[in-house]
Amino acid sequence: MGFWKKLQSIDRRWIYLVIWLVVMLPLIFPFRIKSVATPPVKSLFTYIDTMPEDKALIISVDYTPDTQAELQPMLVALLRHAFAIRRPVGVLAMAVPGLGLGEDAIRQVTAEFNAHAGTKADSIINGRDYVYWGWTTPPITVMLGMGQHIAKVFPIDYYGRQTESMPVMQRLKNYDDAGILVSIAASSMPLSWINLAQTQFGLHLGCGITAVSAADYYPYVNSGQFTGMLAGMKGAAEYEGLLEQCMVKNGMDWHLRGKGTEAMSSQAAAHLAIMAFIIVGNIAYFVTRRRKS
Amino acid sequence: MALSCIVALLLSSLAPPGNVAARDVPNDGGSNILVTWTASPDTSLVGYQVLRQAKGGTTWDILTLAGRRATSFVDQAAQNGIKYQYKIIAESNTESAEAPVSGYAVAKPQWFNFDNVPALIGSGILSFILLYFINRARRDRNLFIRRISGLDAVDEALGRATEMGRPTLYVPGLSSINDVATIASLNILGEVAKKTARFGTPLIVPNTDPIVYTVAREIVKESYTSVGRPDAFTQDIVFFVTDVQFAYAAAVDGIMTREKPATNFLIGMFFAESLILAETGAATGAVQIAGTDAVSQLPFFITACDYTLIGEELYAASAYLSREPLLLGGIKGQDYSKVLFVVIIVVGTLLALVAGLPVLKYL
Amino acid sequence: MKKRLPLILVLVTGIFGAVTYFVPHHSIQAVDESVRNDVMRIIAAFSLVLGLGSILQHHFNKIQRKAQNWQYSWITVITIFVTGVIGLFGGIDLAHPGVLPTHIGGFSFHMQTLYMNMMVPLGATMFSMLAFFMASAAYRAFRARSFSATLLLAAAFVLMLGAVPLGRMIFHPLPSFAEWILAVPNTAAKRGINFGIQLGILATSLKILLGVERGWLGGG
Repeated sequence: MGFWKKLQSIDRRWIYLVIWLVVMLPLIFPFRIKSVATPPVKSLFTYIDTMPEDKALIISVDYTPDTQAELQPMLVALLRHAFAIRRPVGVLAMAVPGLGLGEDAIRQVTAEFNAHAGTKADSIINGRDYVYWGWTTPPITVMLGMGQHIAKVFPIDYYGRQTESMPVMQRLKNYDDAGILVSIAASSMPLSWINLAQTQFGLHLGCGITAVSAADYYPYVNSGQFTGMLAGMKGAAEYEGLLEQCMVKNGMDWHLRGKGTEAMSSQAAAHLAIMAFIIVGNIAYFVTRRRKS
Repeated sequence: MALSCIVALLLSSLAPPGNVAARDVPNDGGSNILVTWTASPDTSLVGYQVLRQAKGGTTWDILTLAGRRATSFVDQAAQNGIKYQYKIIAESNTESAEAPVSGYAVAKPQWFNFDNVPALIGSGILSFILLYFINRARRDRNLFIRRISGLDAVDEALGRATEMGRPTLYVPGLSSINDVATIASLNILGEVAKKTARFGTPLIVPNTDPIVYTVAREIVKESYTSVGRPDAFTQDIVFFVTDVQFAYAAAVDGIMTREKPATNFLIGMFFAESLILAETGAATGAVQIAGTDAVSQLPFFITACDYTLIGEELYAASAYLSREPLLLGGIKGQDYSKVLFVVIIVVGTLLALVAGLPVLKYL
Repeated sequence: MKKRLPLILVLVTGIFGAVTYFVPHHSIQAVDESVRNDVMRIIAAFSLVLGLGSILQHHFNKIQRKAQNWQYSWITVITIFVTGVIGLFGGIDLAHPGVLPTHIGGFSFHMQTLYMNMMVPLGATMFSMLAFFMASAAYRAFRARSFSATLLLAAAFVLMLGAVPLGRMIFHPLPSFAEWILAVPNTAAKRGINFGIQLGILATSLKILLGVERGWLGGG
């Protein structure tokens, strides 16, 4: 009886220690958990994968460093996908702190691809294969202006170069040249993209959002306003799983690190630990209750 | 020659938009003219150029390039009282096609926005219901409202703090004074401050917003004065900490672990820091009464706090604690308004259901 | 008069706020804009000064009385002054320098560095504590004490399992069922609570406007 009663009121610090261990150990001794893609993720992946060759992917970095742990893996996975299938890419940021995050991801992914590129044609080159427009304000001007003429909204890119003369911008004049725009956000920015870009220009949209916000976005996925959705770290892991299969099929068996997939082992272990705590707590509760009565 | 004309005709295939019309946008403050047109049926269409010319002017000004799905544009830069006409040009990548010019339109400001009449009627009905019950409360002072356990526990929680000789912590949320949840929290703070002044319990009120801090300070000072304890009020009771979310959470956690308050009130608008505050408070063994209208934070408070005021219970709290008949009347009015809304929703849903029945097609 | 003047001010400004919603004429909207953009900003700026005064007074009192942990009050006060000086005179980053130099060799301490290397990691650290607190809160609170508590427990289980690939391995439709719980009953409950909240906001605002609700004045 003493044991079960003590277990019910165990010192929190034991729980914190166990959580710390189950989160840290899988990161040090990683084990792979295969993620099976859910319909919203599969839908987004398939749409991008089957975009016509002349259609571009536009990514809007609408988050800040606070949420980068959950959202940065999505940005990296989307960039890898677009570069792997050789679609033009345009990246912009709607939040100033997101500028650095966008640049980090672009630098990382271009370095990965260029490390495996044998020729200049195979490389990923700024201005030819992608453009990083950077940030401008206000959002309504950006969202509406890009539907008409992107180079007018962003006359120079993040690095200070003229966008009008870039080869990639000849293939990406406005939303008509974009297959889809994916907004990665921790705020309600994806809904603004629906209100402005989709309503007026018929642009296909996808979103990458934090797991906590996912419940608010399901109605938009169900109605088709979002072609697909990546929800939290799990969404990123599922996308990375689909991407790996796609890249292997295209002869790019590079075993690139996917932070979403790596974190899934910790997340799964933490969830299991919490469930174990709940089960043990309930057993202790019922045993002490029975013995009391 | 004829052949080249035929070829030119065949080559110029872009259909122009039609029915270009312009009129003043109603129910606004002026300077807006709505331009509408019927879409060009061409699939090679990229978008439309919208141009404007003032009466008596000689040049056309390009206002915007609208997307290919657009069939309207609002000119927000029109000067009131001046006549304008508009031209729409359909554009593809290689050619353009101009529609006939619209008639003249003049932008005018209006004194009343008729689009908001439903809101006026709705507000009027709800206000009438509220005022009726507030008025009724003047005559009938024994209005019943159901028990709210979180509010019943306030006296007990404060008594506990007094017996243990430990302070009471009151966190008025992380939002600004614009937020009605913050105002509701400050109303409750007034009642709690009266009780702590009467019982002689130390009170700690850390704030994250400077305006909320100044209001909270005056409320607590007045509350202490109203129960005859102005001497017990010090500047240390209510203080400003920081306006940065997690820095404030860290500061409040520090207060909880150092001062070990016996009772914590977490009432107002909260965000991601809610569980950090609530769980730290639970770890110190405090009785916690929480209340918020942030729906996403409610689960955290429900799991970590002893009592939680959910949503509108927060707004009922000041009436409940003060037992003022007029405020209780307001709560009754609120409840009857809710009944009215539920009836409207049910009736509307049934009507929508019936209207969508396939059998109606044959009637 | 002390109570009456604020009540009259609230009534007049509240009615004016409602009027601006129904009267779009630019003469009314211009006054409303002026109040929102100018008057309220000025009040907010002055209140920031009051807030700063409160912090300094609070900590200087602790230092003077040599209250418990008074040494940390010195750290707070010194940090406020140093950060204030850097913010006012030190510039934002190397590309936008200020009057005072904010780098020694390769080591810089301008606002952008302070923000990215101190504020952001500290904020992320506090945010990450949620993981530990969720575990301890779940252990303590998720007990099958009653029917509703058991329902909560079961829903939490389904959602946690559905969020990891293991859930699908255990029971194939589990992730879809977890998504359904989020998309249907959870959304319905949230909408119902929001409904009540909006009515509560309307009622509270009206009571404040009419002076029925006076708790915010203090003293009842």
